[in-house]
Amino acid sequence: MNAQALESDRPAKVAASEPDQGPFDAWLPATAPNAEPAWLALARAAATERVHSQGAPTGKSEGWRYTGLRALLEQGFTPVDAQPAALLPEDVDHLLVPGLDSHRIVIVNGRFAPQLSSLAGLPKGLRIGSLRIALAEDPDALTDDLTRVAGDGAHVLAASNTAGMDDGMVLLAAPGALVEKPVELLHISVGMDEPRVAQPRHLVKLGDGAQVTLIERWASLGDALYCNNAVLEIGLGRDAVLAHRRVQLESPSAFHISGVYLGQGAGSRYNGINIGLGGRWSRTDLVMRFAGEHAECDLGGLYLAGDGQLVDYHLDVRHGLPHCTSRESFKGIIHGRGKAVFDGLVYVAKDAQQTDAAMSNRNLLLSQSAEVDTKPQLEIYADDVKCSHGTTVGQIEPEMLFYLRSRGIREGLARRMLCLGFAGEIIDALGNDALAAHVTEVVGARLEAAPL
Amino acid sequence: MLSVQGLRANVGDKEILKGLDLEVGAGEVHAIMGPNGSGKSTLAHVLAGREDYEVTGGSVTFEGRDLLDLDPEERACLGLFLAFQYPVELPGVNNTYFMKAALNAKRKYHGQGELDAVSFLRLMKGKLKVLHLDDSLLKRPVNVGFSGGEKKRNEIFQMALLEPRLAILDETDSGLDIDALRVVADGVNALRSPERSMLVVTHYQRLLDYIEPDYVHVLAKGRIARSGGKELALELEEKGYGWIVDEAAA
Repeated sequence: MNAQALESDRPAKVAASEPDQGPFDAWLPATAPNAEPAWLALARAAATERVHSQGAPTGKSEGWRYTGLRALLEQGFTPVDAQPAALLPEDVDHLLVPGLDSHRIVIVNGRFAPQLSSLAGLPKGLRIGSLRIALAEDPDALTDDLTRVAGDGAHVLAASNTAGMDDGMVLLAAPGALVEKPVELLHISVGMDEPRVAQPRHLVKLGDGAQVTLIERWASLGDALYCNNAVLEIGLGRDAVLAHRRVQLESPSAFHISGVYLGQGAGSRYNGINIGLGGRWSRTDLVMRFAGEHAECDLGGLYLAGDGQLVDYHLDVRHGLPHCTSRESFKGIIHGRGKAVFDGLVYVAKDAQQTDAAMSNRNLLLSQSAEVDTKPQLEIYADDVKCSHGTTVGQIEPEMLFYLRSRGIREGLARRMLCLGFAGEIIDALGNDALAAHVTEVVGARLEAAPL
Repeated sequence: MLSVQGLRANVGDKEILKGLDLEVGAGEVHAIMGPNGSGKSTLAHVLAGREDYEVTGGSVTFEGRDLLDLDPEERACLGLFLAFQYPVELPGVNNTYFMKAALNAKRKYHGQGELDAVSFLRLMKGKLKVLHLDDSLLKRPVNVGFSGGEKKRNEIFQMALLEPRLAILDETDSGLDIDALRVVADGVNALRSPERSMLVVTHYQRLLDYIEPDYVHVLAKGRIARSGGKELALELEEKGYGWIVDEAAA
């Protein structure tokens, strides 16, 4: 984006006598919720202040160098203020993953949709429900968790989420709870009369030794223009295990901002796989912190960006304690005039001895006009660590293509086979056959339709 | 079956094939021998349709079609098969899926339906046995982590499955120990038939002890310098290539 243009846009607004108007003020709710616990009202007020006072990040701020906000600001998003007519299960049948058996909670335009969710028969020790309802029922139950992991968040849009938080999912697993069936958090967005932003806020808390699989999905009805600005806070107790799958497949007009904020207790294991397939403009921040030793954080990702698409993943993994392990492995396929951004930071503090971290980002560019800006960074202040990073940007190897063609396979299919082979490592790691088949099918279809 | 006339081809600015003539009839096995750099592998790749080689002259007819006019995939569907000297690793592409895609591409080209999963697996297992290949190879990505011998056997396995009209074996013996060589040769010999022709490209005579050719050609400086029966291979073994190369230069 053009930072200069954005800067020059603003004085005009200021001149129209709106002093100190931040560019995302329009995203703030018109009225504050009444009857809110003091701690939450306080957090909301502080976040509101940050939205006011922090301007939009510009091209000069490091985290936004390659990701322009202009397109996002131009849409004139305002908060979702009314809900669409209640969807019926048959309206969203086609958005479900065939063969995926899950405890499902559905969020429509940022709001819990009980009629689409299937939360009956949850196993002992697992609670899943609406944030709004949880706060109404027991206003102080979440005092120690909500907003605590994310803090101020990665940028002004996280503050906007806190200021505007209205509903979302709360998932609480009791210590020792072993949940076999995956929990599915399905976001469905429906177009409204004008461009709206939904700001769902989710909280996941696993007690000591609890084990859960969370499949987070993002889907749309039709090709609606809308924005999601989500924050998910995850707290893992000692030795807790969370497998987190995120599959974003949204409308070609969709804007998507999400932040995953993770706090890991000692000995806990987080295994997250991010599949970014769609949307017009997507920005994801994965912010990981270790709160105890011997914890493991494994982050995988696969993104596909085609014509008119921007996909941006920012990783911020901070090793502040000794003996923790992190893996960051992201792969991207960019075709047409698509653009991808990968910015991965692994920070190892002075005291974080025996840290083991390895980051890789590999990209396949399928066209001349495809673009990727990749920036893996290691910042290491400890002296007894094992850290590595690597990045590649390449094209399909002509030798591989010729080998397939020499066996009678036509060029288009040969290219798809090689791309799927490249993506396969991440897709296989999803560890769920139904989800993997779904992703493979979508990736295959996208590549088939892609002007290479 | 295959008729090559006055074939000229460049790699970059360098002319490698300089007017090569070759006639291969149905069911015949021809050996192409020659010193390094004589153009053996170039010939194999030009016939298979590799785009890095530029054909600058001559003609190639295969099964009555102008071969040089066809994409590599169409040549393969018509029944041409190249067993690579260096089989390519395809990370993430499952061997079974690969073979199935290849076989079905060919069937589709000839107006046949796709093979169902059961018939396909049955077919694969039958061919595996002949080549002493392990089942587990089918589940692995194509050639990834295969030993040199496994890669070559995988090539012959593909050939067995695709049943080509003309098989070109490009230095299939290179890098193989004697046991692996025997297995590969047995696999090739099992595929000999009156309808199938073979072009065996090799530097060494020893492969021809196992795969007995009907004709032997010596390639030197981009042309066939000498042709003869299988006894020519023995003569080369004894005297080396020098005398033929010298004759060609003269």
